[in-house]
Amino acid sequence: MNRFTEAAVARNPAAVQLLGLCPLLAVSNTVANAVGLAIASTVVLTGSALLVSAVRKLIPEDVRLPCFVLVIATFTTLVNLAMEAYAFDLYQRIALFVQIIVTNCMILARVEQVASKEGLGRTLVDALGTSAGFAAAILILGAAREALTVGFPLAALPPGAFLVAGLLLAGVNVVGARFR
Amino acid sequence: MRPLLRNVAALAVLTLFAGAVVTWFAELTEDEVARNRLEGETRILRELVALGTGDDAPWRARQLRRSDLTDGDLVLCERDLVVLRVDGSGYGGGFNLGVALDLDGSIKGVRVLEHVETPGFGDILNAPSAWLDSFTTGDVHAVTGATITSRAVMSAVERAVQGVRPEEMCPP
Repeated sequence: MNRFTEAAVARNPAAVQLLGLCPLLAVSNTVANAVGLAIASTVVLTGSALLVSAVRKLIPEDVRLPCFVLVIATFTTLVNLAMEAYAFDLYQRIALFVQIIVTNCMILARVEQVASKEGLGRTLVDALGTSAGFAAAILILGAAREALTVGFPLAALPPGAFLVAGLLLAGVNVVGARFR
Repeated sequence: MRPLLRNVAALAVLTLFAGAVVTWFAELTEDEVARNRLEGETRILRELVALGTGDDAPWRARQLRRSDLTDGDLVLCERDLVVLRVDGSGYGGGFNLGVALDLDGSIKGVRVLEHVETPGFGDILNAPSAWLDSFTTGDVHAVTGATITSRAVMSAVERAVQGVRPEEMCPP
């Protein structure tokens, strides 16, 4: 399996590693919100990973975590500003969850495990794969919740997020077990 | 280089770089962000005027500018309707309200222009909201689960309308 599919499927951040669940549950109430957050997360993860990979030899081992968080926070702020300027309706709906991308452990994990050790090419593939995995998870959850809202209004509300996500994860585990 | 110096230097350089990039981008988007905010607030104020006057004909009043929304409390007088703007502080931070009054001083509508209350709990502030509409009946109750938010809005509305003489503010 190549690095991209490994990052997106076998090590899917949401379905397998259960990372980044806060935005996954909070912003998956509609497909439009899910798309917005998926794009924002992709930009932050890819940008941060590439920058860290480019300067990885200059970052001292002792202070690497503060450095990574600083880079991730910078990209998050830039995405947040861009959204406020160029996609204001979306910004008003999901701004809070864009701002907390900075604390998304999925991103810090990829930066620490891959970007700080590997070159630009491998880092880019890993970041895009992880982003695609996260985007797929949040889009599927968003589509399922939006579709279920018709007969099951709870699906759009916070408890519905836990119920639908739990059922989807159970389905992923059943399928995953078959393959193994 | 000694490790301490190296660590401090790396963090300092990175912090400076991050600050510079963010400042540059914030200046680049500043005008667009201000315009978006003004548009958003104008849309809500239009809704408020339509609510109070029962029609959504174009405003007679002048075009709103940014300074109209920040200077003082009075925003506009329109077809026997006074719209006041009032600030308050809720659970998550500051908020701004638009309050529409008729010439008797009775409340015709309340809308929240900006707020940073907790998503979910703060949803009572997002129109359409039965709770915001209850201000027009004069029978308003604090909301379970959003006590601080709802009480803050109630006291802000009270402050806005207290001692206001719409007829003097908007002479015919």
